[in-house]
Amino acid sequence: MLRGDSLTITGSDLDLTITTTIVVSGESDGEVVLQGKLTADIIRSLEAGAVTVEAEAHQAHISAGRSKFDVVVIPSEEYPNFTDVDGEQITIDARSFEEGLKQVVRAASHDETRITLTGVLIASEDSGIRMVSTDSYRLAVRDLPSAAAVLGEGDQVLVPSRALNELSRIIRNEEQITLVIGESDIMFETGSVTLRTKLIEEQYPAYRNLIALERSNRLIIDRLSLLDAVKRVRLMVSDSSGTATAVRLNLDADHVELVAENPERGRASESVDATYSGAQLTVAFNPDYLIDGLDATPGEVIFLDTVDEERPALMGPMDDDEFRYVLMPVRVS
Amino acid sequence: MGQSPQRTIVHVDMDAFFASVEILRHPELVGRPVVVGGSGNRGVVAAASYEARFYGVHSAMPSVRARRLCPDAVFLSGDHAHYREVSERVMAIFLTRTPLVEPLSLDEAFLDVSGTRRTFGEPVALATQLREQVLDETGLYCSIGIAQNKFLAKLATSEAKPRASRSGPVRGSGVFHLTPDAQERFLASLPISRIWGVGPATLARLQPLGIDRAGDLLRASPKVLAGAIGEGAAVRLIQLAQGLDDRTVTPDADPKSISQEETFARDLTDRDELHGHLVRQADSVAARLRAHGLRARTVHLKVRYGNFQTLSRSWTSPRPFDGGHEILGAADGLFSRIPIDDGVRLIGLGVSSFDAGDREEQLTLDSMLDGDGVDRELRDRANSAVDEIRQRFGTSIIGPASAPGLHRTQGDQQWGPNAP
Repeated sequence: MLRGDSLTITGSDLDLTITTTIVVSGESDGEVVLQGKLTADIIRSLEAGAVTVEAEAHQAHISAGRSKFDVVVIPSEEYPNFTDVDGEQITIDARSFEEGLKQVVRAASHDETRITLTGVLIASEDSGIRMVSTDSYRLAVRDLPSAAAVLGEGDQVLVPSRALNELSRIIRNEEQITLVIGESDIMFETGSVTLRTKLIEEQYPAYRNLIALERSNRLIIDRLSLLDAVKRVRLMVSDSSGTATAVRLNLDADHVELVAENPERGRASESVDATYSGAQLTVAFNPDYLIDGLDATPGEVIFLDTVDEERPALMGPMDDDEFRYVLMPVRVS
Repeated sequence: MGQSPQRTIVHVDMDAFFASVEILRHPELVGRPVVVGGSGNRGVVAAASYEARFYGVHSAMPSVRARRLCPDAVFLSGDHAHYREVSERVMAIFLTRTPLVEPLSLDEAFLDVSGTRRTFGEPVALATQLREQVLDETGLYCSIGIAQNKFLAKLATSEAKPRASRSGPVRGSGVFHLTPDAQERFLASLPISRIWGVGPATLARLQPLGIDRAGDLLRASPKVLAGAIGEGAAVRLIQLAQGLDDRTVTPDADPKSISQEETFARDLTDRDELHGHLVRQADSVAARLRAHGLRARTVHLKVRYGNFQTLSRSWTSPRPFDGGHEILGAADGLFSRIPIDDGVRLIGLGVSSFDAGDREEQLTLDSMLDGDGVDRELRDRANSAVDEIRQRFGTSIIGPASAPGLHRTQGDQQWGPNAP
């Protein structure tokens, strides 16, 4: 949609709608519905420089340099009319929101049979905002305590992780992001982009006891040393489809030993210096989930608290409690 | 469950399977001698239609010789992938009668139906209906032998087979029941060459002793027999000659995937109705998965529309499963994103990516995530109970309450279109 020199582009699959506004050199106002993928592919393929778009009733002409595309347009009366989301507005720091998204979205489920878990919970918590996601194998929690404006006490919404994945790709060096929470939709506004999505209208499972669980074993370790070591030993247990079997952690007084074994390939082990207090323990994890947690946890030094080889472990940075990652072991016999 | 003394074993053998499948695809070949197999100089016959058999052509014969015997025969190179597909449909029909199905090859299987009398009636009635259903749904004939054990059931099948003639098969009874009463007489006159394990070498050692028939084996001195063919073989042969064979029917060793498909008499556009079929398929696939002692991680959904356009979708879980509940959950998720307005002709559900054992298991937070907890142990126990009930009383005696047509009776078709 062109109004003066302002071009607004909207793309939607009805569940998720993204709108962006850019400054162009406009000749006359109007609107046209183009085939999304085709148009994007055309624009991407063009040589650098100005591109001209002219729209008629049944055709649009896209040209740049010597290239010219006459593309069939979709009648604009067939395009759905998106009204704005009405509801509570919250404006928060975009940088920390983006950081939070990257930390939690990856732990959300891709299992469409468990719709609830494909969402990310955004809830009010201690005068801040909390983001939670889980796929039932691990759970990530991030608090944004410094959020300038907050949700009402007890307010919470469940946002599809797919939409948040898109959002984290869109946010670019913005200062602030505004959330508009409606009855069944949520809208994110940042810079010149708005993204709106349907909410998942399900009750999120209670997760707090996963974090509160009493754990008597604590490993304190340099985050990147452990991350690198896990990535190395993982080579021994990852298969062609990109999935991996378990990596064992032998936890002992002043170090942790990682062991990955595959009967057809061999064995990898690596010892990493650490401080460990608790009972001697061997616990196994899916290395991908472990890597996700180590990636997402901020800070240089982290802790990994365990109960035993079958109950959920807890990971977090030593110097603050903004981020927590709960990880369920793999049972090996 | 212990070894029941009163076992009922059914042996099913498709009639000239590869050749019959080809004739179905090429109706112009009806009535002509058809030979499937390698056509080159070193090719071997894989199957011959009864018209070709009349000329002495049989499987495993060099193709060159077959061509000489029956120069008019149509030689086809064979399409194994297609035969496998047809075979899976046939085996799926067998599985509607009992989970204890042991395929011997694409065209032959043993079924242990000891426990299904209450559901499917007397063995002969079960076999007759099974044979009719296979014919209705695939257009293929089969022959069925019934007896107390595998050895005798396979022999019984030969009695039910068609005979070759110039104009095609002369249909036999199709079903032959070798009853315990008739067993002794039947065996007495059975040529020893038809006993499992008796090849040319054994034959050459026994015939000089005057042993031609199974009955002769029982009259011979065990010591003399042992001297001729070794003690182990002698003991085994005497047992078989007495009609004794205690090998159990064990489902196929380790399949790569397990699936079930259903073609409808009319194209379906009702999601609930299709969901009902998925419920039953998920249950059946899960039961077979457990019968093999396997757990799967991938669920495949296949939908074919009225215009034969086919969609396949799959989803892989990080955690292996063997319950109908989990399979159905994944299938529903996949199904919800497939349009069905054009009418669905076929729906199929399958599983793959098997985890053989309990070597590794990703544990879940489910039991601690309030409200979404699943009592896995309870469900596992229910599944085992269902498996046991089915082994005793037949596959269709029990099933998910949400599956339509649970209480089907004899003659109903579970897996294919009813006659219009």
